[in-house]
Amino acid sequence: MLIQSFRSSAFGTKTLLGLASLAMLGAVTTMPAHADIKIGFQVPLTGPAATDGKSAQIAGEMAVEDINAAGGVLGQKLQLITYDDQAKSDQAIFTANKLIGEDGVKLVVNGSYSASGRAAAPVFQKAGVVMIAAYGVHPDITRAGDYMFRLVHLGPPQGAATALYIGKTLGLKKISTITMDNDYGQATMDGFLEAAPKYGIEVLNKYSYSLKDRQFGSIVASVKRDNPDGIYATGYFFTGGPLVAQLRAAGITVPIVGSQAFDSEKFIEIAGPAAEGTYIIDSFDRDRKDEALQKFFNGFKQRAGYAPEGVAAITYSAVRLMADGIKRANSAEPDKVRDALASTKNFPLLEGNMNGFNSLHEMIMPIHVNEIKDGKFTPAGEISDLNAFAPPEKQ
Amino acid sequence: MSAYTISIVSIIGINVILAVSLNMISGFCGQISLGHGAFFGAGAYAAALVMVKTASVPLALLAALAAGSLLGIIVGFASLRVRSDFLAVTTIGVNFLFVGFVRKQTWLGGEMGISGIPPTGLGASGNMILNLAFACATIAFSLYLSRSWMGFAFRAVGEDEQAATTLGISAGAYKLAAFGIGTALAGLAGALYTFFTQFITVDAFDFIFSVMLMAMVVIGGIGSTWGVVAAAIGLTLLPEAIRFVNDYRLLVFGGMLVLVIRLAPGGLAALVYRLSVRVRKA
Amino acid sequence: MYYIDLAVTGISFGCMYAMMSVGLTLVYGLLRILHVAHASVFALGAYVTVLVANATGSIALGFVAALVVTPLFGMAIYRLLYEPLLNYRPDVPMIASVGLLVLMQDAFRIVFGEQGVTFHRNTFSFTTFDVAGVTISAVQIALVVAAAIVFLGLHLFTTRTRIGVGWRATVSRPKIAASFGIDPIKVRYLNFAIGSALAAVAGGLVALLNNLVDPGIGFVVSYKALAIIVLGGLGSVRGTLVASLVLGLVESYGTIFFGAWLDRDAIAFLALIILLMIRPQGFAGARTA
Repeated sequence: MLIQSFRSSAFGTKTLLGLASLAMLGAVTTMPAHADIKIGFQVPLTGPAATDGKSAQIAGEMAVEDINAAGGVLGQKLQLITYDDQAKSDQAIFTANKLIGEDGVKLVVNGSYSASGRAAAPVFQKAGVVMIAAYGVHPDITRAGDYMFRLVHLGPPQGAATALYIGKTLGLKKISTITMDNDYGQATMDGFLEAAPKYGIEVLNKYSYSLKDRQFGSIVASVKRDNPDGIYATGYFFTGGPLVAQLRAAGITVPIVGSQAFDSEKFIEIAGPAAEGTYIIDSFDRDRKDEALQKFFNGFKQRAGYAPEGVAAITYSAVRLMADGIKRANSAEPDKVRDALASTKNFPLLEGNMNGFNSLHEMIMPIHVNEIKDGKFTPAGEISDLNAFAPPEKQ
Repeated sequence: MSAYTISIVSIIGINVILAVSLNMISGFCGQISLGHGAFFGAGAYAAALVMVKTASVPLALLAALAAGSLLGIIVGFASLRVRSDFLAVTTIGVNFLFVGFVRKQTWLGGEMGISGIPPTGLGASGNMILNLAFACATIAFSLYLSRSWMGFAFRAVGEDEQAATTLGISAGAYKLAAFGIGTALAGLAGALYTFFTQFITVDAFDFIFSVMLMAMVVIGGIGSTWGVVAAAIGLTLLPEAIRFVNDYRLLVFGGMLVLVIRLAPGGLAALVYRLSVRVRKA
Repeated sequence: MYYIDLAVTGISFGCMYAMMSVGLTLVYGLLRILHVAHASVFALGAYVTVLVANATGSIALGFVAALVVTPLFGMAIYRLLYEPLLNYRPDVPMIASVGLLVLMQDAFRIVFGEQGVTFHRNTFSFTTFDVAGVTISAVQIALVVAAAIVFLGLHLFTTRTRIGVGWRATVSRPKIAASFGIDPIKVRYLNFAIGSALAAVAGGLVALLNNLVDPGIGFVVSYKALAIIVLGGLGSVRGTLVASLVLGLVESYGTIFFGAWLDRDAIAFLALIILLMIRPQGFAGARTA
């Protein structure tokens, strides 16, 4: 009754190739007699996170195709086994069990929101399955155990870095803050508020709004009355876009700094001319003269119909990192892959070089800032004082 | 039994309890409740808080029953004031109030939810058996209720409140009873859910979920215990079995709800009944 | 200045809510059905406005297209969903309506994408005027003007034209109106058509206001519309207008204070529940349960 399904764009060809490579390398590898290495993939294809889910899915598939086109890993092809977790905890556990039990997967990339990663982490940890959380920001994900890795900066470190940037680099002192009241928005703002005094920032007023809001009339009027030197807002592009447009429409001209999830072409589209001059922290540096990045950029745009944003880039990188871990471990056994991943040094993500992981398997990497100029994302500096926003270590 | 099968069966058990309990309120007693998720959530949060403090399963279950029931009786009072469709709107409102309130309370975990809930100690299989046991008990209770005097009173109130009152049935009291019982069971399901996920966020108890539950009841046949059970099982398995349903879940469920109401308002149960009558005549 | 800014926001919002909610109150007044799916008519209006404007380069054409499409959609909902269910108790068509709303939201997501749609070339949204230190955007002005035209038009229509008077009569006293030879079926279609067209205008203007239409756009307003029609007195157009403006202003001034306690949606529902408990038949009390 239950149909097992896996995503594979050319199943027949892969089996053939798989068999061929088996014949060639059967003696050398310690692999089980499967043709492919399975990578579990959880993405929110439906539900409130569907926008990011779709980006993540396309990026993940692209990564696998690129890896396989270059010969696969250790002579074997990668196979992505994708499930929709709806960004919900119970579905995350469900699909996690499915991946472990039905599909026999040992390595997983979680391309979903925090609730999913948080719920799935203990399940995978217990089963000894390696999980890389591409962009889930719940702190407990990595605390679930040593098989967990996270490839995105946690909310609080991002907020702390923002405080540094606003206070020191931009030199703005009186700030009004606008928080999106979900876990991501709040955690990031908390990090900012905690670090703000260190850089002489005075928070004039704090406002908050919900994920569903697109109208910020009251907040805009209040900010106008505050008359700050600058504004810091956390949110997603679909809240940030309208927010920035409305702030500018009200005649507010001071710099606006947005959080990571503002980072999308759609933000510029929605906010129109109002987007000009907005700073986005931990934004994806699209200008890097990197061949892999440009190739990814164009390929994604062609497949998806829109330009890739941070979520897509990080998910792509997560899959590639997993493949790299397998390569360095010279095995697809989760214990070995885990150790290889833990000792990652200077791995090229699409966003730039990541230094490595800390003891809690949180990523260590400078934070890039973009500014919108002439309707394009242009680099506006790096926050490289790693100590200023170091993620928590293992307790 | 694979971990996956265990988790599916566990969720089926929970959904059956939810659907059957909603059927008691909306099917037997005719009080349309589109906010059942709130009572489910109240129970889940109560159980979570108790488990985090004491790790006592019986206490958690009791707290869940109490929380669901308490909220349910309060809502039940609303049913004494307003007409049926406005009652439905009120229940939607309750659902939103519950979610909106919990979101802002840090002691309830706020946006982060409650994590690190200790396990029951029964293991995944044990939890599954617990869920199944409660599901069976709920079904049995529902069947008993249906044939009992209380069930008769519920139906009378549901069909025609005025007439029921002339028969000496205190409509108000029975409505409250229906709400109290149905929501207590929903709370119980909430506790079982907490045991299963060991991490809860308030999104799981939203209005959309309540609509899915109502879809189960309507599709199964509003008022029929077995119909509702079949629908709960079927609609939980359907997204797993058919990829299309999984990807377009709201479309399918919303669509089925509309089609069933429009074309076969009696649901599955009515269709089966009509078929069996025809078979018997043949 | 601050308070005037808030007032401007509140009033323009109120006008949008009014145009959106009129359809809901009209349907209730005539058929006693809570047409929750009206929110998807509103959303469709928003989508059509943007997509046609993008395809033709003219925002005006976008609005025209929406004014053509949404009444058809609204009337179809009546014919296919409500008409066969009229003899059931009122919660049956309501549940069907909820099912339709949920279905449509997913359909919008599937057809038009999760990211939503934006106007390609839209200067209107970003045009603002500075009036004595208060910033008013062109869209806000458009909202107020549109609402004024709409409500004045409705008033004239229902008092000066034959069809309009016939419509009003049917809503108040269906049997007597029918005995005068007014076709109740035609009136119902008219009812849905007008309500839906107004929702389309509201939708298009919201699309301009936000420069973004996403699948959830209907949901957010639908709950408030329910609160409004109860507050304004079910079936009363005038009451709806007043209630809408009140809600718009209360929200504008209120979210600053309540935001810490409750979600925005929850606030609207809290108000609704309290109202229903105090006066189940609504306030500017025209028609009762």
